Amino acid sequence: MSHKPDDDYDYLFKVVLIGDSGVGKSNLLSRFTRNEFSLESKSTIGVEFATRSIQVDGKTIKAQIWDTAGQERYRAITSAYYRGAVGALLVYDITKSVTFENVERWLKELRDHADSNIVIMLVGNKSDLKHLRDVQTEVAQAFCEREGLSFIETSALESTNVEKAFQQILTEIYHIVSKKVLDSEDNRPKIGEGRDVIVIDNAHDDGGKKKGGCCS
Amino acid sequence: MTGANEDKGKVAKLQTLLRTTSSRLSGRLGLPTRKQSEDGPDLPIARVSEEGMPGRGDGAAEDAVAAGPGVTGLGGAAGGGAAGAAGGTAGGAFDGNGSLGAGGLTREQLAAAVAAAAAGGGGGGGLMHQAPIPEHRVRKFHKLLQEPVVDLDALRELSWSGVPLTLRPQVWRLLSGYLPPAKSRQAHTLARRRREYADMVPEYYDIPHEERSEDEVAAYRQVAVDVPRTAPNVPFFHEPIIQESLQRLLYIWGIRHPASGYVQGMNDLVTPFLAVFLAEHLPGPMEGWGAAALNESVMLEVEADCYWCLCKLIEGIQDHYTYAQPGIQRAVFRIKELVRRCEAEVSDHLDSENVDFIQFALRWVNCLLVRELPFCLALRLWDTYLAEGTGFSEFLIYLSAAFLLSWRDRLTRLEFQDLILFLQRLPTADWSEPQLERVLSEAFILRSSYGDAQSHLRQG
Ligand SMILES: Nc1nc2c(ncn2[C@@H]2O[C@H](COP(=O)(O)OP(=O)(O)OP(=O)(O)O)[C@@H](O)[C@H]2O)c(=O)[nH]1
Ligand SMILES: [Mg+2]
Repeated sequence: MSHKPDDDYDYLFKVVLIGDSGVGKSNLLSRFTRNEFSLESKSTIGVEFATRSIQVDGKTIKAQIWDTAGQERYRAITSAYYRGAVGALLVYDITKSVTFENVERWLKELRDHADSNIVIMLVGNKSDLKHLRDVQTEVAQAFCEREGLSFIETSALESTNVEKAFQQILTEIYHIVSKKVLDSEDNRPKIGEGRDVIVIDNAHDDGGKKKGGCCS
Repeated sequence: MTGANEDKGKVAKLQTLLRTTSSRLSGRLGLPTRKQSEDGPDLPIARVSEEGMPGRGDGAAEDAVAAGPGVTGLGGAAGGGAAGAAGGTAGGAFDGNGSLGAGGLTREQLAAAVAAAAAGGGGGGGLMHQAPIPEHRVRKFHKLLQEPVVDLDALRELSWSGVPLTLRPQVWRLLSGYLPPAKSRQAHTLARRRREYADMVPEYYDIPHEERSEDEVAAYRQVAVDVPRTAPNVPFFHEPIIQESLQRLLYIWGIRHPASGYVQGMNDLVTPFLAVFLAEHLPGPMEGWGAAALNESVMLEVEADCYWCLCKLIEGIQDHYTYAQPGIQRAVFRIKELVRRCEAEVSDHLDSENVDFIQFALRWVNCLLVRELPFCLALRLWDTYLAEGTGFSEFLIYLSAAFLLSWRDRLTRLEFQDLILFLQRLPTADWSEPQLERVLSEAFILRSSYGDAQSHLRQG
């Protein structure tokens, strides 16, 4: 079986997209992975999946991104996907303050279901709708400083900062992982108490292909 | 539990069907499988005659053996189905003695009904397109519908294989139990139900936000987020009058069903009803509809009909939408079990690739497969669901398994990532009736083969 070029990667990171319904998670994902945007995308039922590889410090990082349904009713099922995720983009809509108010609840979801050392980035989406802004940048910024989260505002529509958001969280994860790789004797990168494997391998890649960070 | 179409008469038909489709079934029974086409869905070499489909109440036996236009060579001809089927049926439909229809219809009236169905979407791939239904079937529908008390069992049986476009509004109202079968009571019931709905609007909807509870505001918002994202490929649904109507009816539905409330995906479930009931008031193919032809009171009637039919549809599957969605989890489990029993190779492969059925089948069950098919086929699917009646969620298990297995060869060649990507965007855009009919008939066969043996899994 021949591998497509995008299957040649050094690291594979699982990232989840969470946040209230309608904030633009699916469009952020389609913008990042396919450079597509749709004003009338369908709601996500359960989870959807896409991947893209980027370069960080000369290494190929493949992001395996799980986009989840925003409605609370789906949470019992979607929270299962937090397991093994090393990053989370927690998205709100800058034109709807209620979606920002719910960020606390989403953080609790992550605390309950994800690895304690998951890297979280807060994303204020729809920054193109300036005239409708309902959440001030400074407020969100201050919140993130308190909570120790990274923060960015994006527009999936105008393609503003989308690339940067993913690049930034993947880089952050990479730095943690590569540091752990150096620190770690057995070359099995882990975070926290070593509960969850940081780099997941679906066990179907030829073993020798990856130069590091794989634990099978 | 099983639908109306598992009675004794069906057994004979099924046997005919099994003979006709023995090549297809052999795969299922572990015998050497048929050839598969490389691209597109794995199509059988010969499609069973349309009249040999399960549930046809009318002379299925004769038609199934006759190698008429219904037996169409489809090997590798994915997407060419519409033209093939249309041509085939037209050839067979009007060469009979159609001077006077059984229900007192003139040949012209019948021809008009059939032509209307064909023109439903302006020819080939219209949004409400339907391949022509043979004249004798149309006549049977008319005959049944003319009785003072409509024989619902007979109507179910006939409808299972597709309802003519122009008769769908009436037939769907009857099959969903919204309209009583006794003609004498229909007008009264319809008026009463529509009035009841009209009364709900001021009670639940036309109130200031401040008077709503926190949950109600959240529900209102959720509906508002979903309505503009409903059936994006059907432009007419994005007319303001329709959007408003969807907002009202979904919100009211949610408030009146607090056990589940409105759940994302229910918006998809209304769209077939909406299209069909709107078509009673708007002439011509959907692509040419104009909102100007709709006034508020007509719209409210359509909305009421959609509301009540949605109630009936979801009635038996409420636990699909309650907390943690136990009904869906159970259904997905059963689909997986069924696939494992009839095609272990596929389920083993998915297992070994760490693909979990919930990753793709959650949406299938949640939206009753609407999301996976072109809109005109959702309408066709509704014919069968409504004909199945309250047991349709049971049938959905077999249908989902058959749907999955229609890509069996492709699936077993893919690895984790490509599997997931493939399953979440199945290439059905060019599907027309023949492909769906085949999956429906495969599902019917699966239920006949595995239905009883599975019963131990049903409770719980
Ligand atoms: N103006 C603007 N609209 C956006 C942007 N991103 C998304 N949208 C719109 O917001 C709506 C919701 O976007 P989705 O991506 O479907 O939202 P979601 O978070 O995936 O929603 P769920 O699947 O229901 O959880 C759509 O109509 C999008 O077109 C953006 O950056 N700017
Ligand atoms: Mg989404």
